[in-house]
Amino acid sequence: MPELPDTRESLLLKVGEPANAEAWQEFTAIYRPAVYRLARKRGLQDADAEDLAQRVLIVVSQKISEWRLTSPQGAFRGWLIAIARNAIINALTRGTRGAGIGGSSILARLEGQPDRDAENDGPEIDEEFRRGIFRQAAEQIRPEFQEATWLAFWLTAVEGLAVDETARRLAKNEGSIYASRSRIMRRLKEKILELS
Amino acid sequence: MSPANAQCDRSLVQRYLDRQLSPDAEAALESHLDRCDSCRRVLDDSAAEGSWWNEASQFLPVDEWDGTASQTYIEAVSSCGENVPVQDGASIVRRLSPWLDATDDPRMLGRFGGYEIAGVIGEGGMGVVLKGHEPALNRYVAIKLLAPHLAGNGAARQRFSREAQAAAAVLHENVIAIHRVDQSQGLPYLVMPFIGGESLQKRIDQEGPLPLTAILRIARQIAAGLAAAHAQGLVHRDVKPANILLERGVDRVTLTDFGLARTVDDATLTRSGVIAGTPQYMSPEQARGDAVDGRSDLFSLGSVMYAMGTGRAPFRAETPFGILRRITDDEPRPIREINPDVPDWLDGIVHRLHAKAPANRFQTPDEVATLLEQCLAHVQQPTIVPLPPAAKFAAPLAVPPAGSRRRADTSNTRLQKIRSAWLAVAAVTIVTAISVMNWPNQSARNSETSPAAHPTATTATENSAEVWNDGVGGKMREIGSALQRIDEDLNSDLLQEIE
Repeated sequence: MPELPDTRESLLLKVGEPANAEAWQEFTAIYRPAVYRLARKRGLQDADAEDLAQRVLIVVSQKISEWRLTSPQGAFRGWLIAIARNAIINALTRGTRGAGIGGSSILARLEGQPDRDAENDGPEIDEEFRRGIFRQAAEQIRPEFQEATWLAFWLTAVEGLAVDETARRLAKNEGSIYASRSRIMRRLKEKILELS
Repeated sequence: MSPANAQCDRSLVQRYLDRQLSPDAEAALESHLDRCDSCRRVLDDSAAEGSWWNEASQFLPVDEWDGTASQTYIEAVSSCGENVPVQDGASIVRRLSPWLDATDDPRMLGRFGGYEIAGVIGEGGMGVVLKGHEPALNRYVAIKLLAPHLAGNGAARQRFSREAQAAAAVLHENVIAIHRVDQSQGLPYLVMPFIGGESLQKRIDQEGPLPLTAILRIARQIAAGLAAAHAQGLVHRDVKPANILLERGVDRVTLTDFGLARTVDDATLTRSGVIAGTPQYMSPEQARGDAVDGRSDLFSLGSVMYAMGTGRAPFRAETPFGILRRITDDEPRPIREINPDVPDWLDGIVHRLHAKAPANRFQTPDEVATLLEQCLAHVQQPTIVPLPPAAKFAAPLAVPPAGSRRRADTSNTRLQKIRSAWLAVAAVTIVTAISVMNWPNQSARNSETSPAAHPTATTATENSAEVWNDGVGGKMREIGSALQRIDEDLNSDLLQEIE
């Protein structure tokens, strides 16, 4: 039996506006894993990192009602990112100062971490956001390509396998590996620019 | 520089990326790229500047910080094609790396749940099977992990643990032992002995149809294993050659993956409503989504015997849906038509196991195991041991003419049972009416040549009603509407079970 829709879906409903709903879905696909990874890097286990990502998204979703419809088109995503960034910094710094705020296992674990200056988190957060966009772009364009084309790109450009070895494994010649992967790279760049 | 430079045309590279070249021109450029280093660089740069390539290699690889939140990404970009044999053990391990702990042993890939991971045994719809080493007992084990994307589904996770625990209670030489059921970092897993053999699927793929004695030996042990499981109230639900392990030739057969098919059903149905994997060995009741009992496993056993006899599954079609239709509606070609080395009576036994209605099959795996044992004795010493009568009985009386093979036995036994009960009650009051009432039902079924997938309960009732209107009184109509109510109740019960 289907379970209750997960929070992502119910949040989505709250967003209401169809255009914004789509933006929100894309937003969560990119930023939820980003927050999760930031949390894992600070030593949180899987479930706790999921929890933190969820909380950050909830904070963001609550702020959505503050979004003014009069704002220029397309500004929604930038605005969301700014909110998310603050929410993450808050969650992480509040965690390090710890005591008495809910006492969840996340906070307890974060207490054990060395105190971090919130500002230092900035570049790291931006990097994870960038990673999120790259990955979302890769995920979206993947179905446009054949398996062998994708692997030519993935094995050489992502996993760093030598072109001759990749050609051997895929039973292609080297020229076709170069050709295939360049097409994917071009499409990936296009998609990333669209998502950024 | 290489003579290739003479042919270098940078505009070609640009047009290639813009997909403006003909297939011939593309092929020509690709073979030029085979030799020309400078054009390779031009191509890379034209696709995206160096910083993009760097970022791709920095951001796209899955690393130790990835976990459940990255699952959709990992699934999307992982190669899952069947044609390219690149999904090797290393990439599976890399995908699982968020769940593996570091190990001190350089020969091992990591640690999981206290086991040293030595390699990957295989991967299925439900998860990955790792080869592990248990240092305390110095033995190798097979560790089956529920796939991370399924582990995120609460129902699937609970079902996995529950069914694995039920399977752990079955102790039989033909059923895989389960040492342990546990979870680590949110990933449920079970630990089984490591069996260094091959699956029946692999054997069939490599050797084609198996000799009669091998078919009988293997099938008998599958039936014996099923008997032990059914005695514990556990239905396998996924009896198929890939789940049957052969150790040392055919001497010992081990049945794996008891009850675990439901885990996947839970998760995949919730996610997409689509059946995962091939349903080739399903029973008709499974194919319809009806409730199943042990007799469903016996139908699947029939399909496994068929595959051993012919080298291929009995019900085949282009799509999973097509396969389901054939399972519910069609009779497969007799094994003998494909493999003349097989005796008639083996076809008969498979035919009986393949009865569409569970009530028309052998009723227990014990019965089948005993029969196969006797058949094996007969094959080995035909002059001393006669063919068991049950095998003769199972044989079809006549080979149906080609073309009339699409016969469907769509009777619903529960429906029949309840209706018969009511008919019996009615018989007390109006004896003479019984034949009038029962007859149309029978004839409706017998004359039914179209391969309808579902029992035609309402049709039967309507037919009966027509006869009643022919002048039998109001009493009959009362019984008729009572029957209809039962039909309706029954149908809604079935629906609830499906839901």
